[in-house]
Amino acid sequence: MKKTILLTLLAVAASLLYLLPAFCQEDMRVIEPTAFENPQRPAAVFNHDAHNEKAGIEGDCYLCHHSEGKPDPDNTSEGTPCSDCHAVKAEKGKTGLMQAYHKMCQDCHQAKGKGPIACGECHVRN
Amino acid sequence: MHSIYNFATGPLCWAAFIIFIGGLLLKFISMVRRARSSEPYIFGYFSPYFGLRSVIAWLIPFVPRNGKLNPVFTVVTFAFHICLLVAPLFLMAHVMLLQEGVGMHWGTLSDATADVMTVIVLVGLAYFAYRRCTDPTAKYVTGPKEWVLLALVAAPFLTGFLAYHQIFDYQVMVVLHILSGEAMLIAIPFTWLSHMLLFPMVRMYQGSEFGGVRHVKDW
Ligand code: HEC
Ligand code: HEC
Ligand code: HEC
Ligand code: HEC
Repeated sequence: MKKTILLTLLAVAASLLYLLPAFCQEDMRVIEPTAFENPQRPAAVFNHDAHNEKAGIEGDCYLCHHSEGKPDPDNTSEGTPCSDCHAVKAEKGKTGLMQAYHKMCQDCHQAKGKGPIACGECHVRN
Repeated sequence: MHSIYNFATGPLCWAAFIIFIGGLLLKFISMVRRARSSEPYIFGYFSPYFGLRSVIAWLIPFVPRNGKLNPVFTVVTFAFHICLLVAPLFLMAHVMLLQEGVGMHWGTLSDATADVMTVIVLVGLAYFAYRRCTDPTAKYVTGPKEWVLLALVAAPFLTGFLAYHQIFDYQVMVVLHILSGEAMLIAIPFTWLSHMLLFPMVRMYQGSEFGGVRHVKDW
């Protein structure tokens, strides 16, 4: 009897371990918007918090989460996916979703002389 | 990575295209000049109709007699040349870089299609290499230069394939891919790779003479 309880407890503990990653969803590791229906490339690696810490921009959410297209500390959009404002197929004069990611990520990497700029550095295969 | 990547995709890329297009233009001018001084009578019977007829006939597989005589070679060479031109011109990543760099863009292939076409190019090159070893007439015209040029054409496709699949070190491979592609473009005007220009020129010339003067087909 004791043995069965012990085993059951062990089994529950083991399954909880497997569930752990599900609770860690907060930790964003790749950018994988559902807006791209038939993605051509593997999702781009982007470990949200670690990236911003390493890049020294942890406090500067506004650099990426803008509302009007320009970084503005007084008008931000943290938590709103880029795809809410950037359509995959953009109207003329607007920034499409893929271009939005590419431009924002690569312009800063180019400006800082650090960070990925070639396709496979972001779209990493596993 | 930043400095070498930006140099290869920036100034070097401009230089390669200027040499490639400028070199072919100069070659065209010098060929016409040479014809004008050594065989000026060509211009008397030059005919766009018979010339283009010949170009088109040679662009359809198995129409030229030569093609019927070597069916395997014909199939390989057509598949090879189509993929060689179409895959890089319509590769999504290339068109994207062009769009980001100079704002031009056009339709693209899916990555999976381009991947298959790349393999066809490499298989075609392997077949040409094999033929140069085994076919006596091909062997006769094959020296070190031919092997270097075959390798030069293979290099951007092989490194592109490896970079895309991220086999070996990606950063090294993608830089090798860009550099080898530029090396190939630069080599075109100065080597027999310039048959991309000479093919239509020779056909226009032969077609005019055979169609307009001798009244026979030249295919
Ligand atoms: C380097 C650019 C960048 C910076 C700086 C940045 N973020 Fe983000 N953040 C992103 C991207 C890209 C996404 C994914 C958006 C999408 O899904 O389209 C994202 C997503 C989010 C999300 C949604 C998380 C999820 O799992 O969907 C939140 C919340 C968020 N960021 C908050 C913040 C806060 C708070 C800061 C500042 C402390 C910050 N971000 C700084 C780029 C950045
Ligand atoms: C609340 C709406 C909104 C959100 C969310 C948003 N954007 Fe924008 N973005 C805009 C507007 C408005 C513009 C200006 C019009 C345009 O270019 O489409 C713009 C422009 C841009 C531009 C072009 C800027 C330039 O200098 O040309 C980039 C790049 C961009 N956004 C990237 C992103 C990325 C990446 C995200 C997600 C992290 C994001 N945007 C989220 C509204 C938004
Ligand atoms: C405001 C500037 C900035 C923006 C915007 C930005 N990055 Fe970065 N990123 C950096 C810097 C700086 C580094 C280099 C950090 C280092 O190695 O010191 C970097 C490094 C990286 C790395 C390598 C991380 C590592 O562990 O070496 C990845 C991957 C990356 N960025 C992806 C992205 C993606 C994807 C986006 C767009 C959603 C993005 N970045 C937007 C500044 C930025
Ligand atoms: C700085 C990082 C970065 C670089 C460099 C980069 N991308 Fe992306 N790319 C992204 C992000 C972030 C997205 C958003 C969706 C995702 O993660 O797939 C994206 C989306 C895409 C998409 C649309 C989604 C899909 O998979 O169909 C394509 C296509 C694409 N990239 C191709 C490329 C190509 C080709 C290159 C090189 C010329 C490249 N990217 C370079 C970050 C990058």
